[in-house]
Amino acid sequence: MDSSHALTTTETFAGQAVELPWWRRTATRILNGPTISLGILAALVFVAVFADFLAPYPYNGTSRYTPEVGELRNKYLPPMWQARGKPQFILGTDQQGRDILSRLIYGSRISVKVAVAAVLVSGIIGTALGILSGYIGGWVDQVIMRITDSWLALPALTFAILLAAVVKPSEWNIVVILGIVYWTRYARVIRGEVLSLKERDYVRLAIVAGCSRLRIMWTHILPNVANSAVVIATLQLGVVVIAEATLSFLGVGVPSPQPAWGVMLNDGRAGLMTGSWWLSVFPGLCIVFVVLAASSLGDWFRVWSDPQLRQL
Amino acid sequence: MSPTSQHTHTALTRRRLLQSTLGGLAGLVTWQGWPRRQVAMAQKTAASGQMTWAIHVTIAPTWFDPAETPGVITPYMFLYAMHDALVKPMPGNPMAPCLATSWSESQDGLTYDFELRQGVKFHNGDPFTAEDVQYSFERYKGGGAGDLKKRVQAVEIVNPHHVRFRLHEPWPDFLTYYATPATGAGWIVPKTYTEKVGSDKFKEQPIGLGPYRLVSHQAGIELVLEANPDYWRKVPYVKRLVFKSVPEATTRLAMLKKQEADVAYGLYGTLAEEVRRDASLKLEPVIPPGTLWFEFIDQYDPKSPWSDTRVRLAANYAINRQAINEAETLGYSVLSGGIVPRKFDYALALEPYPYDPKKAKELLKAAGHANGFDAGEVSGDSNFSWMMEAVANDLTAVGIRVKVRPMERAAAFAAHREKTIKNLAFHGSGAYGNTATRLGTFVYSKGAEAWIKDPEIDAWYEQQAVERDRTKRQDLLYKIQQKLYDEARFMSVWEHGFLCASGPRAAVSGLSLIPLFAYSGPYEDVQLKS
Amino acid sequence: MHRYILTRLFYAFISLVLLSITIFVLIRVTGDPVVLMADPGAKEEDLQALRIELGLDRTYVEQYIVFATKLTRGDFGKSFMYRIPVFELYLQRLPASVQLAVAAMAISVILGIPLGIVAAVRVNTWLDSFCNVFANLGLATPSFWLGIMLMLIFAVNLQWLPVQGSGTFKHIIMPAVALGLVFTAANMRLARSAMLEVLGSEYIKLARIKGLTENLVILKHAFKNAVIPVLTFACINFALILQGSVVVESIFAWPGIGRLLVEGISSRDFPVVQATVILGGVMIIIVNLLVDILYAYIDPRIRYGQ
Repeated sequence: MDSSHALTTTETFAGQAVELPWWRRTATRILNGPTISLGILAALVFVAVFADFLAPYPYNGTSRYTPEVGELRNKYLPPMWQARGKPQFILGTDQQGRDILSRLIYGSRISVKVAVAAVLVSGIIGTALGILSGYIGGWVDQVIMRITDSWLALPALTFAILLAAVVKPSEWNIVVILGIVYWTRYARVIRGEVLSLKERDYVRLAIVAGCSRLRIMWTHILPNVANSAVVIATLQLGVVVIAEATLSFLGVGVPSPQPAWGVMLNDGRAGLMTGSWWLSVFPGLCIVFVVLAASSLGDWFRVWSDPQLRQL
Repeated sequence: MSPTSQHTHTALTRRRLLQSTLGGLAGLVTWQGWPRRQVAMAQKTAASGQMTWAIHVTIAPTWFDPAETPGVITPYMFLYAMHDALVKPMPGNPMAPCLATSWSESQDGLTYDFELRQGVKFHNGDPFTAEDVQYSFERYKGGGAGDLKKRVQAVEIVNPHHVRFRLHEPWPDFLTYYATPATGAGWIVPKTYTEKVGSDKFKEQPIGLGPYRLVSHQAGIELVLEANPDYWRKVPYVKRLVFKSVPEATTRLAMLKKQEADVAYGLYGTLAEEVRRDASLKLEPVIPPGTLWFEFIDQYDPKSPWSDTRVRLAANYAINRQAINEAETLGYSVLSGGIVPRKFDYALALEPYPYDPKKAKELLKAAGHANGFDAGEVSGDSNFSWMMEAVANDLTAVGIRVKVRPMERAAAFAAHREKTIKNLAFHGSGAYGNTATRLGTFVYSKGAEAWIKDPEIDAWYEQQAVERDRTKRQDLLYKIQQKLYDEARFMSVWEHGFLCASGPRAAVSGLSLIPLFAYSGPYEDVQLKS
Repeated sequence: MHRYILTRLFYAFISLVLLSITIFVLIRVTGDPVVLMADPGAKEEDLQALRIELGLDRTYVEQYIVFATKLTRGDFGKSFMYRIPVFELYLQRLPASVQLAVAAMAISVILGIPLGIVAAVRVNTWLDSFCNVFANLGLATPSFWLGIMLMLIFAVNLQWLPVQGSGTFKHIIMPAVALGLVFTAANMRLARSAMLEVLGSEYIKLARIKGLTENLVILKHAFKNAVIPVLTFACINFALILQGSVVVESIFAWPGIGRLLVEGISSRDFPVVQATVILGGVMIIIVNLLVDILYAYIDPRIRYGQ
């Protein structure tokens, strides 16, 4: 799905032109385009928003309407197409007797919320600091860049685990933590762009005209770096989803019994030895597909917005 | 049993034995003949083979030094291997003479005399004498050290094989502190060697009197021990013991199945079921003195619903302990109505409140909470998330809506101690001792981790602390436990079944041989199949 | 040139200092280690005595000064839990992590480069699409989930490989694959795009016109040029792989520094966490520094532009 190279859909063998059949051309166009990824992501958001209607059961605990959920005697039931499976638990149950499908559906909510929020937070902080650093220069630039360098030398996961050890685990704390960890990914690139933008004529004119620094940054610089920021943000979506899943897997992310997919993977580890594969396979597949869609979209967007940014 | 103090030395030791409810008469009989019989049974052939344990904790070198044992049972996994004590629990005898061949208490209760075993040598050849006993006591700074040092006036060396402890005033629990794993003060290190190398170096290369000596230790990964052929009790069967730190339970089971380990500690739920299903593995449940319970943090706050006894009773009726027991510990845990293990001295065996959600709802209604109430959160060690979730489910089902907040083990520990926990706390304790020590920590209002503030209980507790008469002491302690039960001051769950498993190569894994001990022991008795 | 190097060195040093301060403060905020080490029933005086022994009763600034001065002598302090010098502990565990990182790197290069080249050579065919899908899947799969799946298939079901531990080739293969897959995918894409660039370049077109056979053209010229960015990328990321193995090490019980770090964080073993992070940071900073200098050497514009 990487159409970064400037080839037409007719070239196949090392630069030698061959005429491709029409269906091959269409297929390539669809695969390389954003349609599939957007489709998957739209479906994800749909599921997340309408989880209450789509999920056959609540994700935790018993309720008057579904007394069999959360009952220990229903634990570790396999998906319904296997021998011991029951038709009311389509993808099986976990160690507490909770329905896997429902938990997956509610888990999508967590993934969407956390990923979008974390990307927004880190993007806003990173872009703002990048602009400040690039435009104002001087000691502000030095301070921000040194902090960026030093925090980039701290692996994201380690940083996140440490931060998580400080606060009590919750969805919003994870958003803040991921925001703190990932803003550095934006700052350097944005600063680089700002440095070159500073030399542009319209910026110089604005300075001469007496516009305040803030106004220049807001009206002239920001819109022009927004492109790069969005590109980085879309690429970061997948990274953040995996980061949140890893933290939840380690037990320091979204707290159990919330059905974050990482939490489900952690729960599923005990079942591995006894062959309860469905606990680990389904949440993992969900993560893979979501990240796949997000990063494909990011790739496509990156190329679409400016082929020269290919090297990001 | 006569409580008077006209005793001969033999009868006194009998009295001490019966302090623990396990063993009893059987212990008396075996004790009389035990040292001689053990020597007769000493095995003649040299140690051979290697046995591997997959353990659930990370090995800390502080555990190789008896002077720094905290008040938990884990370090004894290694103390039993590398060191020895004057008196320690052994198969069939909770207070068996080991380095001490006999002991006695004076009539006024102020002096304790220990006769030491002769001809015993440390791993480096140094002879074992009373000096080492005195030195080990004085350098002890682990759990309970404060109490010991405060109450013991002096440790006298009467002769190289006779030690005398003098107390300031009579202390009925002295032997509980000194002669059981409640503290490590009775575990002996060599004076000359330790003074020479210093405490830090000692932890890297410990020398002791145990059946095994340290060969190598890869910090946090693996510990290798080799048999000490000169061990006074017998020559160990297995030549090498290897302990591997494997924090993941799934991995421990996998290792067991593939014979990368011969014994695995800490398997639960579905993993334990898998052990049962697999014919080549043997499930060995152990019931150490570890009780689990929930605390009502807000019960003394008049604004909280928990201040009403009926609400606390309702919670106790609402949870289905047996179902959780069967799910996670395959039914091996012993349900309990109190926080003291029933095998402890002076423990009152209390049956828990039965599972009756209807009654729970009625009680709630009577207390004015017909629609239930929002009970906030229950926090505790995330290793027990399954317990907290199951209990939270049960409570929510009767209307007590509560969320689970698992905390990383260390953080839960700290929060409980620093009293930053709210609403409901899940807690437990595996510390050795007796009823008084357990209540002292968790019930007596000046205890380190107590949430109970009851002046009547405090008064009883202070009374029993100085009471030398066994029956009167028992009465007071029973009264405290009964009151806690009647007023539902805790929501106790059970004595936790610690599920372990052994593989096909292990003939004698050593589990459940020593009473009230969670791990394999004594190590000189473990055997591989030939 | 020297000026450039000196400035970069200075910046690297500042980054290191900032990193050390960050980790110093961060780990202390996670809580009190003394509470974890002491007996559950210990009194406050015992805890305070332990704090004084470990030097934790003083202010952060004082503690940092002590820490920094010791650091200049190469002394990272002693682990609270293990009571041995942390540097020793780190060196004990480092080889295992290096082994794993090298293995993962090797897999990613050995698999990634050929796949990328093949995809570039047969661009826009099914093979290319297949490789691209594989690359995308590789980037999207969390390494820990892959590790679990591998364990499920190869260790539990098929019983071909051991579940945990280290030592033999059999032990290293699953964690290395789990860790290395992401980098395989990245290398594949890098190799592919580098290869495509080269294949479309004037130089190659000229070689074709001259009539050199396809294979010769590809192998000799394009390959050489395509491999360089991949290897650079691989070297830069070695330090990253080394640090990123935390979860994989936990799953496979691999005795490396990732596990050491996680254990240190949960047991609040300050010296261990500080040392691991700082030493890891040193590696990354040094690598970045070398790369910066290398690029400046190659491209004079960078030297004089800043």
